Amino acid sequence: MLLDQFNFHYISGWTAVASWRWIANDENCGICRMPFDGCCPDCKLPGDDCPLVWGQCSHCFHIHCIVKWLNSQQVHQLCPMCRQEWKFKE
Amino acid sequence: MPLSSPNKISLTEQPKVDEIRENKRKRNDENNPSPLKRARELDDPANMTDSQRKPNFSALTTPNNGITRHSSPLSNNKPGAAKKLVIKNFKEKPKMPENFQQETWRKLCEAVEAIHKSCSIRYSLEELYQAVENMCSYKMSANLYEQLKLVCEAHVRTCLEQFKADNSDYEQFLKLLDFCWQAHCRQMIMIRSIFLFLDRTFVLQNSTILSIWDMGLDLFRANVISDKVVEVKTVDGLLRLIERERNGEAVNRQLLKSLLRMLSDLQIYKEAFEKKFLEATDRLYAAEGQQLMQERDVPEYLHHVDKRLNEETERLLHYLDQSTKKPLIACVEKQLIDQHLPQILNKGLDNMLQENRIGDLMLLYQLFTRVNHGQKDLCSMFAVYIKKAGRMIVINNENDPDKDKEMVQKLLDFKDKIDNIIDVCFGKSEKFVNAMKESFENFINQRQNKPAELIAKYVDSKLKAGNKEATEEELEHLLDKIMVLFRFIHGKDVFEAFYKKDLAKRLLMSKSASVDAEKSMLSKLKQECGAAFTSKLEGMFKDMDLSKDLSLALKPYMQNLDVAGLIDLTVNILTMGYWPTYTPMEVHLPPEMIRYQEIFKKFYLGKHSGRKLQWQPSLGHCVLKAQFPSANKELQVSLFQSLCLLLFNTGNVLTYEEILTATAIEESELKRTLQSLACGKPTLRVLSKKPKGRDIEDGDKFYFNEEFKHPLFRIRINQVQMKETPEENTSTTERVFHDRQYQVDAAIVRIMKTRKTLSHNLLISELFNQLKFPVKPTDLKKRIESLIDRDYMERDKDNPNNYHYVA
Repeated sequence: MLLDQFNFHYISGWTAVASWRWIANDENCGICRMPFDGCCPDCKLPGDDCPLVWGQCSHCFHIHCIVKWLNSQQVHQLCPMCRQEWKFKE
Repeated sequence: MPLSSPNKISLTEQPKVDEIRENKRKRNDENNPSPLKRARELDDPANMTDSQRKPNFSALTTPNNGITRHSSPLSNNKPGAAKKLVIKNFKEKPKMPENFQQETWRKLCEAVEAIHKSCSIRYSLEELYQAVENMCSYKMSANLYEQLKLVCEAHVRTCLEQFKADNSDYEQFLKLLDFCWQAHCRQMIMIRSIFLFLDRTFVLQNSTILSIWDMGLDLFRANVISDKVVEVKTVDGLLRLIERERNGEAVNRQLLKSLLRMLSDLQIYKEAFEKKFLEATDRLYAAEGQQLMQERDVPEYLHHVDKRLNEETERLLHYLDQSTKKPLIACVEKQLIDQHLPQILNKGLDNMLQENRIGDLMLLYQLFTRVNHGQKDLCSMFAVYIKKAGRMIVINNENDPDKDKEMVQKLLDFKDKIDNIIDVCFGKSEKFVNAMKESFENFINQRQNKPAELIAKYVDSKLKAGNKEATEEELEHLLDKIMVLFRFIHGKDVFEAFYKKDLAKRLLMSKSASVDAEKSMLSKLKQECGAAFTSKLEGMFKDMDLSKDLSLALKPYMQNLDVAGLIDLTVNILTMGYWPTYTPMEVHLPPEMIRYQEIFKKFYLGKHSGRKLQWQPSLGHCVLKAQFPSANKELQVSLFQSLCLLLFNTGNVLTYEEILTATAIEESELKRTLQSLACGKPTLRVLSKKPKGRDIEDGDKFYFNEEFKHPLFRIRINQVQMKETPEENTSTTERVFHDRQYQVDAAIVRIMKTRKTLSHNLLISELFNQLKFPVKPTDLKKRIESLIDRDYMERDKDNPNNYHYVA
C-alpha cells in the first residue's frame, strides 16, 4: 500500500453481511418435497433447527425426513432415491 | 322464699290503692285543676289519656316505689295481715245545672266567633277547654260537633263572598286568597286546641266523622275552592305567575309556595292544578324547542336546555309538590331533547367533535342520557363521525406522499382525541368504546395495505437511532399506542413485511436506538398475533447474536493465521428464511478485502459444512480512515461509499463512468451513493462534483474535497439509499401477495379435506371466514383452478359447480 500520498484512505473496520444456504444437488427434499431453503413439514423455521444431511450416495434430505424414513424401514436401510444402502456422509 | 311474699301482697293491694288514687285525682281535677297539669294536657293530650286509662303498674317493678309504699299507712302492715277497706258511695248524687248545655255552648260559640273575627276571647282558654270536656263527659259530643261545624261553615261562606266580589288583578286575588287561607288555618288550629277533648274522644271513636282540622279543610274546599270561579281564577293565577317566572321575571315565590301547599292540603293539587300546569309546560317548551332549534347553534341550545332543567328543578324545590317532579322533568326532556334528537345530532355533533369541545360534549352526553334512545343515537352518530373523519385521514386519492407521511401521526392524535372524549365526556361508556373500535377498524381498512405499511414505517422512524425526541418510557408508551392502531389493521402480513425490512436495516446498520425497545415491540407483536407471526423476526435477532459470537471466535483465528492486519472484520450471517430477500450484487472489491472474505469463508465453512455463503455487499458498512489536508477523520460509511472513496487514493479527479467500471456497483445504487458523498449537507461533502447539482448525470466529474472541514473526528455519512425506492416498495407488497397465495391454497385444501365435497359458493364463503386478509373472489377462483391443475381437487363430472377433494 502506498502511504506517501496525502489523501490516503484505508479501511479500518468492516462489517460485512453474508447469507447462507445449503449446498444441495436438488431444489427440494426428495422425501417431503419441500424446498431445502425451507424446512421439513414438522418444523416451522428453516435454518439450524432443521438441518440437512448428506448420504454417501451424495443424496441429501432434511435430517428429520430421512430419520423418519430410516425408522420406518425394517430390514435394510436404503436411500429412498437410489436404493443403495444409506450411510451418513462423514 | 321470704322475698316473694311482699310482692304477693302488693299485687292484691295494688288495684285498691290505685282506685283511691284515681278517685282522688279526678276530684282534684274537677275542683282545683293545677295550672301546670292543664298546660301539659293542652300540649299533649295523648299523654293525658294514656295515663288516665292505664293504672300505674310501674310501682310493681320499681323498687323505690315499694319502699315508699311500706311507709304508707295502707301497706305498712306486716306481710299477710291485709285489712279490708270499704268504699262508700257519695251520699248525694251531683246534679247538673239545668241550662248547662245552652250556657256552655253560648260561651264556646262566642269564643269561636271571636276567633273568626280575630278579636280577643272573653274567657280563659282553660275554662273553654274545661267546658268542652264537661260537655263531652255528659254525652253532648255529637251535638257539640254539629254546632261547631255549622258555625265554621257560616264563617267560611262569608269568606267566599269577598272572592266573588273581588275584581282586582290576579296577583291581588292570589294574595287575598292566601291571606284568607292562612287566617283560616290559624283559626282552625286555635279552635281545635279548644275543642281538643272533642277531637280526641268523640271524633276518634267515630271513624266516619272528620277530625276538626279535616273538617276545617273540607269546609274550605267545599265552600271556597270548589266554587268554579274561584278555582279557575286561582289556578290561572298560579299558572300566570309561573309563566312570568319562566320568562325571567322575579315573582313572589312565597305566595306560590303557600297556595300550592293549600291545594295539596285540600287534596285538589293533582286534579285542579297539576294537569293544567303540565299542559302549559308542554305547550311552552314545545314552542320554545321548535323556535330555539331554528335560531341557535347546538351548544347554545344545549346550554339553554340545561338552564331550563335546572330552573324546573329549582321550582320543584321551592314551591311545586314533589309528586310533580317526574312528569314535569319528563315533559321538559321530551319537548326540549327527545323531540330534537336527530336535529341536534345532525346539526351539532360533528362540529363539536371536530373542535374538541369537551364541555359541550359532556353536557350533550348528560342530556342525552336522560331520554330513551339518546345514548344509542348519540353512539351511532359518533361512530359515523369517526368513520368520516378517519377516512379523511386515511384516504389519499392523489397519492400525495406528504399526506401519507403524516397519516400515522394524525391517526394517533385522532385516537387520543377520541379516547379523551370518551373518557371525559361519555363516562367511559363501553358502548362508545366499542363503537370507536369498530369505526376505527372500518375506516383504517378502507384503504388496503398502505396504512399497515405506514404504521410499520412510523415504528421504524421511532426505533431508529438518532431519534432523540423520546425517553425510554415515552417510547414505550408510544409503541403501545401504535399497537392499538395495529390491532385495527386487517392486512397484518403487510405490516410484518415492511416491519421486517426496516428491522433488518436497523439491525444490519446497527441503527437501532435501543435493544430494549426492539425487544419490547417484538413481545407486543407476539402477544397480539401469536408466536408464528414473530418467529421470523425473532430468528433475525438470533442470527445477530450468533454472528456476534462468530466474530469473537474469528479474532483468535485471524491472529493464528497471522493476518490480523489493518481491517477489523465482523460478519453478520443471515439465515435465508428469516430475512427479507436481497437481490445479490457483484461488485469489485479491493484485493485486500477479497482476501479477508476468503479467510472468513474458510473459517465459517469449517464450522458449518454443507453450506454456501452469499455476500451481500449492499448491506455492508465500514469505518474509513481518511486524511484531509486539515485533519484526519474517521468516516462511518456504507461499503459502497467506501469503495468510491478508496478510488480517490489513486487520483484526484474521476468521471462517473470511471467510478462505475471500477466498482461495478449497480447504476441507480451508485448514483445514490455518489449523491450522498457529493450532494449531501455542505459540511458533509467529502467529494465535490462538476457541474454542481442535486442529481448525478452521466459524464459528471468528481473531485476529492480538500477543503473538507468538520468539528468532529468521527463522522457518519448517511446513505441516501436509506430512503426506500419505489421498486423496493412494490416488491415488498408483491411478496406479501405471493405469500398470501400459499395461505389461500392451504385454506382451500384444509377445507376440502374436511368436507370432501363442497359447492363453489360454500367454499368461497368458508374461505372468507378463514382468511384474515381481504381477498377478491376472482383471486380465489384462480387459486382453485391452480389446485385442480395440481390434482389436489377435481370438479364434479355432472355439476361443474361442485368440487371433490382428491386424496
